[in-house]
Amino acid sequence: MILDAAVYLSAGVAALATLLMIFQKNPVKAAMLMLTALLATAGMYLAFSAQLLAVLQVIIYGGAIMTLFIVALSVTPQAWKDKPVPGRAVRVLGLAAAAVLLTELLQVSTVLRAASAAPGFSETGTLAIAMNLFGRFAFQFELLSLVILASIVGAVALASRRTAP
Amino acid sequence: MTAYNLAAIAFTLFALATAGFLTCGSLVRMLMFLELMLNAANIALVALGGSAASQAYAAMLLVIAAAEAGVGLALIIALAGAFKTLEAENIKELKG
Repeated sequence: MILDAAVYLSAGVAALATLLMIFQKNPVKAAMLMLTALLATAGMYLAFSAQLLAVLQVIIYGGAIMTLFIVALSVTPQAWKDKPVPGRAVRVLGLAAAAVLLTELLQVSTVLRAASAAPGFSETGTLAIAMNLFGRFAFQFELLSLVILASIVGAVALASRRTAP
Repeated sequence: MTAYNLAAIAFTLFALATAGFLTCGSLVRMLMFLELMLNAANIALVALGGSAASQAYAAMLLVIAAAEAGVGLALIIALAGAFKTLEAENIKELKG
């Protein structure tokens, strides 16, 4: 019961923060609202008894990725100067498209109504996750290192490229 | 609480992030909403999976999100240098 309430509360905070983010004009305030949504997600992971993921969420999303965003906002003055294009029709179309997407997703997942999934306290140990990462999913996990390597090389190549005179 | 409720939570967050992605014009904001969409997918994975395997997958998805943010922000910085703007509306040339 408490866990159900925690899941709904965290989800509500995350949804509210995302909604406020859409209407927020200041990019740094939008980034802070995003941080709120990400931390609320960490709370949701705790309610699902995914303690390791909650910690990873705070460290990677709340720490590393948010720092990247703030740095990117501070080194690109264009992000501050740009005025949003007043396209009311585009906004309405975007919201309508998202509403259609949500309706479709809810429609296709009606089969899940029969399945009960009440979150309960359980101890999914780090060992069990590590056994999966290094045993069953070892190949995928090693492939991820290549993804990271490619992204590092790509990011360095993009950021260090001089613009042609 | 049924699995449908959990799926609905993840889908609502995903749809809200999609709405933000489609309505905002700035590239940095688009990347932020993209991260939130990935986050919603991660929530669905953890909430509906309920096992160590799904959590392992979610941890791998976190790594992919970090890699994507790094490349995306490097692209944005390169675009800001080349076009002097970060509004998607103003970037129309596809010249190399």
